[in-house]
Amino acid sequence: MKRFWRYLLKKDLGARWLEGFRYAVFGLGDSGYQKYNFAAKKIDRRILQLGAEPIVEIGLGDDQHPSGYEGALDPWLLSLWKSLNQANPSLLPRISDIINPNLNNLGDAKIDVIYYSSDDAPQDSIVSDSKKLIERARSISPALKFHKDGEPQYMLKMVTNQRLTNEGSDRDVRHFELEDPSSAISYQVGDALEILPSQNPSAVNAFIERCNLDPDCYITIRAKGGDQGSKGSTVNGLTDRIKLKTFVALAMDVASASPRRYFFEVMSYFATAEHEKERLQYFASPEGRDDLYQYNQKESRTVLEVLEEFPSVRMPFEWLVQLTPPLKKRAFSISSSPLTHQNRIHLTVSIVSWLTPFKRTRHGLCSTWLAGLSPNEEILIPCWIHKGSLPPPHPSVPLVLIGPGTGCAPFRAFIEERAAQSVTELTAHVLFFFGCRNEDSDFLYKDFWLNHAQDKGVLSLKEGGGFFVAFSRDQPQKVYVQHKIKEQSERVWNMLCSGAAVYVAGSSTKMPADVTAALEEVVREKGGEAASGWLRKLERAGKFNIETW
Amino acid sequence: MAAAALAVTDELALPLRAVGDLAAAAGISREEVVVITQCATLGGKLPFDDASVGAVLSVIKKAESFGDQLVAEVSRVLKAGGIVLVQSFTPSSEQKPNNYIERQLLMGGFVEVQTSATSSQDSVQSVTIKAKKPSWSMGSSFPLKKATKALPKIQIDDDDELIDEDSLLTAEDLKKPQLPVVGDCEVGAAKKACKNCTCGRAEAEQKVEKLELTAEQINNPVSSCGSCGLGDAFRCSTCPYRGLAPFKLGEKVSLSDNFLSADI
Repeated sequence: MKRFWRYLLKKDLGARWLEGFRYAVFGLGDSGYQKYNFAAKKIDRRILQLGAEPIVEIGLGDDQHPSGYEGALDPWLLSLWKSLNQANPSLLPRISDIINPNLNNLGDAKIDVIYYSSDDAPQDSIVSDSKKLIERARSISPALKFHKDGEPQYMLKMVTNQRLTNEGSDRDVRHFELEDPSSAISYQVGDALEILPSQNPSAVNAFIERCNLDPDCYITIRAKGGDQGSKGSTVNGLTDRIKLKTFVALAMDVASASPRRYFFEVMSYFATAEHEKERLQYFASPEGRDDLYQYNQKESRTVLEVLEEFPSVRMPFEWLVQLTPPLKKRAFSISSSPLTHQNRIHLTVSIVSWLTPFKRTRHGLCSTWLAGLSPNEEILIPCWIHKGSLPPPHPSVPLVLIGPGTGCAPFRAFIEERAAQSVTELTAHVLFFFGCRNEDSDFLYKDFWLNHAQDKGVLSLKEGGGFFVAFSRDQPQKVYVQHKIKEQSERVWNMLCSGAAVYVAGSSTKMPADVTAALEEVVREKGGEAASGWLRKLERAGKFNIETW
Repeated sequence: MAAAALAVTDELALPLRAVGDLAAAAGISREEVVVITQCATLGGKLPFDDASVGAVLSVIKKAESFGDQLVAEVSRVLKAGGIVLVQSFTPSSEQKPNNYIERQLLMGGFVEVQTSATSSQDSVQSVTIKAKKPSWSMGSSFPLKKATKALPKIQIDDDDELIDEDSLLTAEDLKKPQLPVVGDCEVGAAKKACKNCTCGRAEAEQKVEKLELTAEQINNPVSSCGSCGLGDAFRCSTCPYRGLAPFKLGEKVSLSDNFLSADI
């Protein structure tokens, strides 16, 4: 996408480059953010500038709208269909169905599921090789195949599982250390580790039972009408088939992610109890959108819960495969440097749990699973390295790092690395701004930062560094990292003038905006009005990096 | 009186060749040189206006002739930035005269004092010392550069090739949209808490309705609407059983832990 957008920005394309090209844009945005729907607006303007013709006005979905993005999507879609129909009626032969949906007419699923008897089951070692099973499941899943994940790069063992916040804190943040027993792990600071979590086996079993599936049969999945060769072919050996239970466990998220509105619509076709059918049709309709939002999204309803609450629904497996949210990998910033820990990866993970409006406790699938792993258990964690989430800094570049809470993870890696480098070469200064709620309860890695801030450490004053902490709840007024930044505006200014790169990481949506505003204030105060656009330029030059989750 | 160059010597007679050499060294044609001899006997002033002469070429036999008064006069008549060339002849045994002349020039306020290579002629060494009158005049001033740092200029590699994407947005775009005003009493209305709410709104939204379940309602659930047992999908917004799993009417309801612990 980056390359696509960069190409569109080229000056030499001219105002006629997209002449004759017709397009429509719908943006999925959230007006809670500063940059509300900027991507959609920019793309729309630029494509227009290049000579293209919009067939409908831009649609701007807003999560803050009472009905979420669908509030804007429904009318936009209607105008889209009408416009397309006007331009070329043969495009939409069933337009009347769209304008007046008749919920009694469901077409076919987009995929076929092919079942094999146990005679056709693969007997080779692939069955027990978890890496290969993961690859296979994810390459036949219609939602995941185009991600081309491949096999996990590493199957890691957890060797350390340590709680960083003290027992009194309502936040449970863990320090994990993962190791590959057989080989070295190749990674860089700034990389993230993508983990595929395991689902609770009883949830997977409950799902299979509820849907009347045979867990032990072998299946494969083909796109309908695709050119995938003849069905049931053994051309590839038996490498395209997998046990149904394994496929569900590895590729279908049954007990964590929420289904979407269309899932409810399709359910309504397969409901035999009248009150269930009605209710599902209501949820799928524009009138029921708000109630669906309350019941489903706000409650974080899982696929299994929804199916159990509508017991008369008998959805064929094809539809379940197509509509169940795929099991997603979760990415975590790596908090160690390969220079200091050659064979290990450290992670700093906040265990996610929350209370829904109806007072149900929900837990994050991956963080909870990791928290429950004992060190040196035989359970292996499927991992991929996601390179360069934050571009690693060269040792000669001064750094201003801002990472409250778990945002400190990648910067622990940066600082470890710079400390190791400073032994053999000249390294530039580092300023680190950290923030947490209370010094006593969630001051993550306190000893680590303080060690590096003493004597001739990378964060010590002697070495031109700095370590500043904001404890937000230790006093009546809130003190956050942005306040610390303004307190240290002289030092921050000096760093910026010496060519520092700025990195911001953390888990809040407001923090980056607040930090950016504080930096802009520093720049304006010390550098004059003319300096306002400077931070934006720094961002475009790749020296102002923000990563939030 | 003004001149392109002034040649001054303490000797009575000055060969043209000497003048010519110095003039060439100063980059001036010798036709333009005015010669004054016996400068030591002048009794003070050179007959020239202030800052009227581009270059002074002096040929000095006796180093002492290049005294303070002469040096001051040379400085006076020279234009700002003008050069002075002093050629002196010393018997090869002596070193001192050069140093003397250099020092005189320095003390006289000349800059860029340079002594060039010597040349010998008839066992007599000649040295040419070049100096310059500073290009600022007396009484001029200029402000010192402030010691403030400046932000480094940022090199964005393809700045030239690409348009500035921020220019695609108008002032209108930067405004937030007008959201429909909905009664804020119910959860799910109007402004919703962000997904990663940290300000407390999410918690406040959760606290909107707190419904008490009596022991009777737990042990023997009845439902006038008939929907309570079916599950959250069917329950009314005011249903006391909201949040619980589906149950059969008349059978004891199983509670999740949350309902038994106090709300914070």
